[in-house]
Amino acid sequence: MAPEWMEGSPRPFSKVLVANRGEIAVRILRAARESGLVGVALYSDSDASSLHVEVADEAVRIDGETLEQTYLNGTAIIEAAKSCEADAIHPGYGFLSERADFAREVESSGILWIGPPAEAIETMGDKISARRLMIDSGVPVIPGEEVPVEDGADHLGNLAISAARVGYPLLLKASAGGGGKGMRAVSEPKSLRSEYEAAAREASAAFGDGTVYVERLLRNAKHVEIQVLCDNHGNAVHLNERDCSLQRRYQKVIEEAPSPAVSGSKREEMGKAAVTAAMSVGYVGAGTVEFLLATNGDFYFLEMNTRLQVEHPVTEMTTGVDLVQKQFEVAAGLGIGFEQDEVTQNGHSIEARIYAEDPSRGFLPSTGRISTWRQPSGPGIRVDSGVREGDEVTIDFDPMLAKLIVHAPNRGAAIRRMDAALSEFVALGVTTNIEFLRNALNHASFRDGSIDTDFLDNSAPGELDGDGYDEGMLVAIAAAAQRLGLGSARTGSGETVDEHTGHQGDPFRTLRRTFP
Amino acid sequence: MEWSASSGNSRYKPTLEDKDGSIHVSSMSRDGIEVPPPDVAISADSQEGRLLVEVDGNQMIAHVAREGDSWWVHIDGRAHVVNLHEQGSGGTSIDEGALTAPMPGTILDLMVKVGQRVREGQALMVLEAMKMEHRITSPKSGEITRLHYGKGERVDMGSVLAEIGD
Repeated sequence: MAPEWMEGSPRPFSKVLVANRGEIAVRILRAARESGLVGVALYSDSDASSLHVEVADEAVRIDGETLEQTYLNGTAIIEAAKSCEADAIHPGYGFLSERADFAREVESSGILWIGPPAEAIETMGDKISARRLMIDSGVPVIPGEEVPVEDGADHLGNLAISAARVGYPLLLKASAGGGGKGMRAVSEPKSLRSEYEAAAREASAAFGDGTVYVERLLRNAKHVEIQVLCDNHGNAVHLNERDCSLQRRYQKVIEEAPSPAVSGSKREEMGKAAVTAAMSVGYVGAGTVEFLLATNGDFYFLEMNTRLQVEHPVTEMTTGVDLVQKQFEVAAGLGIGFEQDEVTQNGHSIEARIYAEDPSRGFLPSTGRISTWRQPSGPGIRVDSGVREGDEVTIDFDPMLAKLIVHAPNRGAAIRRMDAALSEFVALGVTTNIEFLRNALNHASFRDGSIDTDFLDNSAPGELDGDGYDEGMLVAIAAAAQRLGLGSARTGSGETVDEHTGHQGDPFRTLRRTFP
Repeated sequence: MEWSASSGNSRYKPTLEDKDGSIHVSSMSRDGIEVPPPDVAISADSQEGRLLVEVDGNQMIAHVAREGDSWWVHIDGRAHVVNLHEQGSGGTSIDEGALTAPMPGTILDLMVKVGQRVREGQALMVLEAMKMEHRITSPKSGEITRLHYGKGERVDMGSVLAEIGD
């Protein structure tokens, strides 16, 4: 039965399958429960005991080992939805969230698609058609060229000619790329071939498509994006901007709202452009229009993300709008529920992405068992996590473990709150970027809001390294822990006494080194 | 028993003593040379995985966890790894000229051949893992003496990928 708030809506639904995993599945499943909906988790065998399965009302197993067989398997996911009588599917982000054919398949099987119309996904998903539409709609775009790429043909010649016209440095973007995959900066003609090949490979590995687009690389620009919300009654509003300038290889690391570089009038100007972009493509639901903001205040359309964003919480914290709840409402055919002039901007919010990766080894993803996981808490602190203590981090999935979000009255207070919260975030057993996040946050260029999207990639080696710690002290702590018999967390308490023999400790412990 | 902190290559050998209900370091050597021991008093907390660490009269809490031969220590807002080594396993654990896979993945591309001279930092191969491409660079300048895997092969974490001579 549909929840009460949906009464009288054109397309009521009661049970939503979340076709995703990790923190976003947890976020959406919790929102579903809060809204009086039944939330169904989807899981592959390696995810059987994952957090998103635990928080769900129901869970459906999907057979297979690879991503293609499981979370990217549209047909099997629709079957799973039918088998548990889910009448709606929420795709989260990544995976199938921006696959127009999947959206179409869902709708044609009589299941409600909690996302924008397939045509909007299709138009915005193809960077070339999106660019054409933006030019037609009067939304400013970055100087660049489309390069027709045909399978098997020698496209490098055409690419080189276009590249020369656009000018170096330039950015190669596989049309089907995203999230930093399939995107490569080329600083000089001689590296065009190798970077193109890498971009095409990455795009086809991640998204199953390998075509390309060349555009001018704007130096010192900021990444500012506008959250939009549209209903299917022709209403559209924007929920202010997010600044995602702190990136590494086009992968966002820290996001915030509002942007330190955006004034009230600029916000209005960019917001209008974003709403125009969304309206021009017939958008419905929550979406994001990404812009590059140049140092002179000019801004250019980058792309539209036709889904919920990873960094959506900073908008929720500063506007007080629950975006997932709004997605449910709009999908049910209800109106947005407020006007543009009712959108507020309250304080400052920052999000830091906690990745299982090793900054000291080129940010390589790290693996292992999360032996300790203690999230910070307190006023203005929110953690959206996909993992919990004891979970195994493997290379099978995206290395993002959780997002730490803080909210404070102003930017300075938000930075201090984030730093304190990060220092209280205890994640052991797997190397994370927590210390790196603290160092980036405390860098003078972040503090004064002057960083651009190249900041992390251009910072000198060691610039963002932490201070060394007294090694002797750490060794003393570890040796003491060993002596005290700690570290047997896998089996429960430190020292167990056998009731019958009175022997202390696990008899098998002597097989491992446990005495000093 | 010897220890090293993940941040450095030095080997430490602490001698612990129990005094007034807590553990102190009576002496410590670093790479075989006697160094002043850290002035610290460590005692167990009622909670598994926590230690009370007193430095200069200042009490701190350390969170500790063990995974294999590694101890993870979170103190003063930062996490560290301390590794335990078998006695007499030598100065450095890995053969100097061997380049090992930092994570499991698939070799996408090999940019060098056996016998080729490479510079420190030069890209040797591309490893794909977690849908991203990672360039594996040479840890030193020298000549490639062996390549253990070919294009398209899967490697485990720690597998020796290449050997580099002088």
